[in-house]
Amino acid sequence: MDFAWSAEQKELRQGILEMARGSLNDGLRERDERGEFNREGWQKCAEAGIHGLPMPAEYGGLGLDALTTVGVLERLGYGCHDNGLVFSINAHMWTVEMPLLHFGSDEQKKRWLPRLCSGELIGGNAMTEPASGSDAYSLATSAEKRGDRYVLNGNKVFITNGSVADLLVVYATLDPSKGASGISAFVVEKGSPGFSVVGEADKMGIRTSPMADIFFDDCEVPVENRLGAEGDGVALFTHSMTWERACILASAVGAMDRLLETTIRYAKTREQFGQRIGKFQMVGSKIVDMKLRVETARGLLYRAAWLRDQGRSIFIDAALAKLHISESWVRCAEDALQIHGGYGYMRETEIERELRDALGSRIYSGTSEIQRVLIASLLGL
Amino acid sequence: MADPNAVKSTIKNYILEEFLPGEDPDELTDSVEMMTLGILDSVSVMQLVTFLEEQFDVTFEANEVGAEHMNTLEEITKLVCSKL
Repeated sequence: MDFAWSAEQKELRQGILEMARGSLNDGLRERDERGEFNREGWQKCAEAGIHGLPMPAEYGGLGLDALTTVGVLERLGYGCHDNGLVFSINAHMWTVEMPLLHFGSDEQKKRWLPRLCSGELIGGNAMTEPASGSDAYSLATSAEKRGDRYVLNGNKVFITNGSVADLLVVYATLDPSKGASGISAFVVEKGSPGFSVVGEADKMGIRTSPMADIFFDDCEVPVENRLGAEGDGVALFTHSMTWERACILASAVGAMDRLLETTIRYAKTREQFGQRIGKFQMVGSKIVDMKLRVETARGLLYRAAWLRDQGRSIFIDAALAKLHISESWVRCAEDALQIHGGYGYMRETEIERELRDALGSRIYSGTSEIQRVLIASLLGL
Repeated sequence: MADPNAVKSTIKNYILEEFLPGEDPDELTDSVEMMTLGILDSVSVMQLVTFLEEQFDVTFEANEVGAEHMNTLEEITKLVCSKL
């Protein structure tokens, strides 16, 4: 394994960092309070090539390998304080673009991928339902084939990008008696008959990432919008989730770097009892733990991406990366807040928002508990 | 050229040991639809794929890791042998 960046990779990472710092942070505090999506920022990221980092050039992407992709997203997370915007981009990339690339027909790829990469279209993933969260394959949304269409009925909850999405990858069962093998995936476009978006979630963190519930009431989907073969739902969702778990928290590693630097700077300037607080061992020890978490998180992130680039399945590596980065991000934010004391608890220092944003990472893309269950199973336990 | 019977035997032994402990080996015929019946669920498929990659030094495309190609012992054997 060689994680040294080439000159070209360094230039790309630096360019994204400068774009993020210069274009994505203004007005964030107000957008966070209002729960407002930054569509302009979304477009700037798309123009910088972020949405299509791992997509082939023929579909409008940059055609980068997984390691370079997470390396760039890491810098995006370092420069962009809007974790909600970055989360929305990740959902769009890993759960819409990636399954389209690997399961879509040529016609489907040509139809949607270029506009997803350019930012013109926003994608979302619709799996979770009121009664099926961690037990995802117990979903109840049904699909029935009628001539040249499928008719979908049911509802999905907690759908990232739900209220702004132009198309959703929706999972539904064609035959509940087949269990997970009966599940298929469909691309449902905004405006389809029987498709409706209800409400906007009022979340604790990543508030600038839109989230809504989706209803399908005899929703008609053309047969040509089925993604993969009938019954491919589990394979498709496993594929999406593996990519997502491996890569979605690349930006969090950058955010942790930012928290660490902010905290070191504060510990070197804030004085109490006649000396800088960083000189107190209990403060220094916390900062060392932050540094350790950042570096181990980065190591797992790069390793999972590197293995993916070798063509290997990364089920366990992706789950390990997701688990460790999310838990580390929360702990880093907690430590940063604690070291900043009362100032850290105030909104103006923006550390409390980092903590709120970080907490969600223990839940989305499979909770930390589910990651542990998965890893234990993959270890043969 | 790999011997399909040897490949099948290796895969069958792994499935019996990991997912069907104590079962009569004769019950796991070439045509038992393991994914449809739930013998292989979403997690055990990941486990099986990881084993196959390490055991036979092969890799799989995303769309191969599903019921269409990995439902029965015969299909899995055929898929692995096509990569050897």
